[in-house]
Amino acid sequence: MSAHGNAVDPKKAVLWDTEYHGHDVISTRSLGFFLYLLSDGMIFATLFAAYGVLSYSHNYFGGPTPSQFVHPWYTFTQTVSLFLSVLAYGMGMAAMKNRNRGGLISGLLGALVLGVVFLALDVHDMAVLAGQGITVATSAGASAFIVLTQVHAAHIFFGLIWILVMIAQVSSRGFTTDTVGRLLSLRMFWHLQAIIWVFVYVFVYLWGYMS
Amino acid sequence: MSHGHSDPVQHPEVQMSSVRGYLSGFLISVLLMLAATYMSATHAFPPFGLLMVITVCAAIATIAQTYFLLHIDTAEHNIWNTVSLVLFIPLFVLTIGLTWWMFSQLYLHTMPAMTGMH
Repeated sequence: MSAHGNAVDPKKAVLWDTEYHGHDVISTRSLGFFLYLLSDGMIFATLFAAYGVLSYSHNYFGGPTPSQFVHPWYTFTQTVSLFLSVLAYGMGMAAMKNRNRGGLISGLLGALVLGVVFLALDVHDMAVLAGQGITVATSAGASAFIVLTQVHAAHIFFGLIWILVMIAQVSSRGFTTDTVGRLLSLRMFWHLQAIIWVFVYVFVYLWGYMS
Repeated sequence: MSHGHSDPVQHPEVQMSSVRGYLSGFLISVLLMLAATYMSATHAFPPFGLLMVITVCAAIATIAQTYFLLHIDTAEHNIWNTVSLVLFIPLFVLTIGLTWWMFSQLYLHTMPAMTGMH
């Protein structure tokens, strides 16, 4: 980081940096939050591992498998609504670059509505499965399927609450170091949900459907 | 590290938001997921070939989203995000890969009667 002309002599050096460069609060917080999100990624790694080992045909004990209860085009509409929600959030953040508070709040509202659509489609899907008698108690395979997809849905649920909070905070406080920093953290969180959804959609829904 | 601004909106992590980048990330991932859904729904290839094709779709979509949405690149202001993600990937792959490998061996050796799994 330091661009001093002379090489540092470790025997004489007292401090690496002799001048105070200022503390970048936003960068520090967003790196910390990014590391937290990566540890959240490890939760998904364990759930994907569990699904991987519990999705062999004998794990369904002769009961229904994802090839019978997954509907690719239905779940594709969930995919589109989540990606659109992420896009709306991004558009809001691009509006913030120009201090456009109305643009930011419109983007957040768009992300909120599309996220609610995603969650409603998911809840309806789970209700249909429960109506067919497919629950976490049905088989190890069904359990792994439901837990993995619903942990992702829980992330969306908490993300929606966070979006609501940020709409309120930006409306009342404007662009402060705190609100801008939280919006950046929420951007990472929300956009990461789309990346995890690609894995959930392709390797749980689509692969489950075709196998 | 000092950027000499007190206005948080001028922070590089705010200023790196880009409409074109977000649109690109959206379009690439939606089109790839559309292709993967169509091929799976119509059983366009035999199962193993189909798995390979949709895996490639997922890989490209993930890379596009990581680049365009998470802004993971070699820019100096967020290089530590990139470094930590690069160090994270082997942990993620090993957790899933080793668990799956252990159990596939277990099933292979303890359930000889169960053929045709997957």
